[in-house]
Amino acid sequence: MTPQQPIANEIASRDLRAAVVQPDADLVSAHVAVFRSRLRDVVSSGVLHLTVDLAGVRLVDSSGIGLLVAAHNSLKKSGGELAVIHASQDILDLLRTMRIHQHFSVSGN
Amino acid sequence: MSDFTLDDELILDYLAESREHLATIETDLLSIEQAGAAIDEQMVNRVFRAAHSIKGGAGFFDLLHIKELAHRTESVLDLIRSRQMIPNSEIVSILLMAFDKLRNLILDYRDSNTSDISEFTTALTRLAEEHLSPDKKTSPDEVVTIHIPRSERLLSTSVFDMDQARHSGKNIYVIQYDLIHDFRRLGGTPLGVFHHLIKCGDVLTSGFDLTSAGTLDDEPSNQLIVDVLYATALDSLSVVQVLDVAPDRVHEIEHNNVGLPVSAPDLSAAAPEPAEHVLKNTPMPPSAQMETTVRLNVALLDSLMTLAGELVLGRNQLIEAVRNDDKQGINAGAHRVSLVTSELQEAVSLTRMQPVSTLFSKFPRLVRDLAGELGKEVHLRLDGGDVELDKTIIEGLSDPLTHMVRNSVDHGIELPAARIAAGKPALGTVTLRAMHQAGQVMIEISDDGKGLAVEKIIASALAKGLVTADQLQTMSDFDKKALIFAAGVSTAEKLTSVSGRGVGMDVVKTNLDKLGGKVEIDSVPGKGAAFRIKLPLTLAIIPSLLVSDSGERFAIPQVSVGELIRIPSDQIEERIDRAGDAEVVVLRDRLVPLIYLAEALGGSRAKRGSKALNVVLVDAGAFEYGLVVDDLHDTVEIVVKPMGRHLQALREYAGATILGDGQVAVILDIAGLAQCAGLSRAVAAQTAIGSVADETAGEMHSLLLFQNAPGEGCAVPIELVTRVERVRAGQVELLGGRRTMQYGGSSLPLVALDDVAAVGKLEETQQWVVVVFDCAGQTFGLLVAEPLDMIETCLALDTATLRQPGVAGSALLNGRTTLMLDIFELAGTLRRRSPTADASEPANPTANGTTAILVAEDSDFFRGQIKRMIEAVGYKVLAADDGQSAWELLDQHAGEVSAVTTDIDMPRLDGLGLTKRIRGDSRFANLPVIALSTLASEEEMARGIAIGVSEYQVKLDQNQLLESIRKAVGGANRKQSPVAA
Repeated sequence: MTPQQPIANEIASRDLRAAVVQPDADLVSAHVAVFRSRLRDVVSSGVLHLTVDLAGVRLVDSSGIGLLVAAHNSLKKSGGELAVIHASQDILDLLRTMRIHQHFSVSGN
Repeated sequence: MSDFTLDDELILDYLAESREHLATIETDLLSIEQAGAAIDEQMVNRVFRAAHSIKGGAGFFDLLHIKELAHRTESVLDLIRSRQMIPNSEIVSILLMAFDKLRNLILDYRDSNTSDISEFTTALTRLAEEHLSPDKKTSPDEVVTIHIPRSERLLSTSVFDMDQARHSGKNIYVIQYDLIHDFRRLGGTPLGVFHHLIKCGDVLTSGFDLTSAGTLDDEPSNQLIVDVLYATALDSLSVVQVLDVAPDRVHEIEHNNVGLPVSAPDLSAAAPEPAEHVLKNTPMPPSAQMETTVRLNVALLDSLMTLAGELVLGRNQLIEAVRNDDKQGINAGAHRVSLVTSELQEAVSLTRMQPVSTLFSKFPRLVRDLAGELGKEVHLRLDGGDVELDKTIIEGLSDPLTHMVRNSVDHGIELPAARIAAGKPALGTVTLRAMHQAGQVMIEISDDGKGLAVEKIIASALAKGLVTADQLQTMSDFDKKALIFAAGVSTAEKLTSVSGRGVGMDVVKTNLDKLGGKVEIDSVPGKGAAFRIKLPLTLAIIPSLLVSDSGERFAIPQVSVGELIRIPSDQIEERIDRAGDAEVVVLRDRLVPLIYLAEALGGSRAKRGSKALNVVLVDAGAFEYGLVVDDLHDTVEIVVKPMGRHLQALREYAGATILGDGQVAVILDIAGLAQCAGLSRAVAAQTAIGSVADETAGEMHSLLLFQNAPGEGCAVPIELVTRVERVRAGQVELLGGRRTMQYGGSSLPLVALDDVAAVGKLEETQQWVVVVFDCAGQTFGLLVAEPLDMIETCLALDTATLRQPGVAGSALLNGRTTLMLDIFELAGTLRRRSPTADASEPANPTANGTTAILVAEDSDFFRGQIKRMIEAVGYKVLAADDGQSAWELLDQHAGEVSAVTTDIDMPRLDGLGLTKRIRGDSRFANLPVIALSTLASEEEMARGIAIGVSEYQVKLDQNQLLESIRKAVGGANRKQSPVAA
């Protein structure tokens, strides 16, 4: 695995209470804990429109899905919404198979 | 922990399975169309289930358009199944197109969601709406909600899907999967688990339990629930076992669920279903994909297994021998292994053999669509689908065959109205036939349409500059037809979407050449055309008769063998006959030419002594002959191996094979052998009594065959024969050394051929036959032994070898050398013998050396006949063998010629061309031209008259011709005299 701590770069401004988070490692169980706290920080800072940019992600496993759904659930509670962008075809297929795309916006490359 | 990426294998499996479904759909739909209102429920069900499975998988992979389209087709099929819709050709067309689109979508599944399917969905929806009973109109889009037991969650699916599942007798379950634990335990990726599911049933829908994931503030959830609404034929216990999930996570919903607008489950349909579904699990459904899988004969597989076992035994033997340093054992072992290995190699290569039906199966649809598009009614007959061909050949044949079948439908079969007008049924038939023939595989595409438009082919080839007019002159009809394979040639009057661009047949030819195939074209105007593709058998297994000659063994493909004849030595004399330089055998009522194998292959005939003669009667396609061999052996199945490169040019051999004892035997090419032995088709064709000879070889003659001296056949043109009378010897009177008989109240002079020519003497018997001729006003009878037959044939007259007074020459008829009699000469000799007859001959006032008749005729026989006929009445004859030399003669003898008789079909300058020149020259403006033709259509006559032909006559009515000549000479002399003066 990647030796250094995986970082979720937050690249967009927080105007309009929106943020884009760009994980630079795969959303698999080994990294999920780090991402989870990162996303929690972003959401608790008042962001309502959170976009997760998966451009740098190749793999998403069960816990990765759990994380995305948890983020969705959190945002929904505070009246916000989650969007996933730049998902690879494989990840897109996976999310669609699980019917997750029916709950929040998922788009590919 | 496994990665949650898309399982490629899963989607590939789905795509492969879908393609498989689509492969059979086409044939089924066409059968459904044919059955019409008499719906075969099983057939409709099969298509329905195929559409359904495609839909199920598509929904699972979120291939929205595929799902949508499959769903719409399913709705229409359901209406057909429930007999609310009668499948007509419009409906089936729409379905076929929809499935075509579906196939394309599946082929390019990644882009399928962006592909436009509205055209198809609209058409299908319209169909469904038109036929749906009002109360059911909402059904396809109606949604039903199902409560997940022991939870608050809901799953929504269409009522239609649910009903489908019920109709096919499936139980409906909700299965709760835990994404974290179950999948890890099952050791698969989520997609892998889903794959397992769709193998045994249909995933109607699925839903992710969002709450199970908690929020970001909660502890990471250790349970992620996915609810799957699942329809399967399995009972709940099996579901638990097969899917390996905890029993409490499987909830049977069945059809008891509250709130479902249930229609009574269709039990009749339910019954056969479960078995069907269990079958889905078996490895290879029937219509496996050709590219990746091959179906094998179990017997072949068994033999492979046996050989593999043999190989193991051989290895063991070898190892044992090596260990013991047993030289002899090593040799034996090596021998055994090598033997088994080659057999194994052979057997493995057989696995490549495929029935032609895999190739044929796509044509019913093609023909149907094409016929519809062109407004024609065409029935496709398939024959010999079980003939096996090498896989490579089958694949290579696909394109050429498609093209040729298209051509048959487009060019061959006429529009229904035209067919009826031509006295044919409106429904045209195209036949695709495969068979083993003469050691090759033959595939024939034939139709009963209008035949090849040879003139158009020629015109097109001329226009494109592919041949010159000069070349055409010397081309045989066969070669002319073959022009269709030249690039750029087209006979279509207008471009259709189907054909007419002049590309295609040349490509067909190229493709077939690549496969080593040959094409033969057979076409009868108005009756249809047939294209025969002969393919080498590279790997075919054929039963063959083994024979031996000169110490070598040969194989003759069994299909070529007609019968085996053994002629005991004491019967050889009487059953073998000589005709010309060929030997023939008398077989029942036929004469069959003989070929001695040893001679044909360049050796010399074995000394026969008192041995019997073994003859294999073989069929060379167009004709048959007898092959004389030393010995006949068994019939065995042989594997054909192509001849080595340096031997391939030998026409005598079709290939070679290795016999059971390891010896090589060459396979004889029956047709090639005949060619090498100089037995041409034209000659052999004449051995078939009453056979219609090749029209291309020349004009047809009707001949009366009779026997003179024993074994001496004679022939006369039937036109000259007035009667054939049987007379008792007593009726013939011998007066003054002349034979006569009473005939029609007067005395008929009789002549025997041996009176005038050096031929065998007519045997004295109690009964003779008198052939009565009326020749240039003289009636006489020819005494002959026995009339044999009347035949129509084209004549290759040899006017040199056997020419003598009264005998025009000889020709090979029915395999015998037959003397062609010259009746005019016979009559002449009779006249010379009889001064009274000479005196009675009306002296022709104009018969004075300077009045000549020009005869243009390319057939030696006819030219001789006409010449002697005219000379018999006292005119001088200038004979020319074509229009050009006739013109030259006429030019030289301008003042002498008072009339011209001309044939129509002649080389260099034909009859019409000659007439044109004559009319174009002021000297001959009034010269009578009599055209003689064997078969003149009214149109042709009109054309001739327009050009300047004075009169048309059917060849050869002597009285009419002489009458015309007399009239013409009289007229011409009157008109010409002022000019001459």
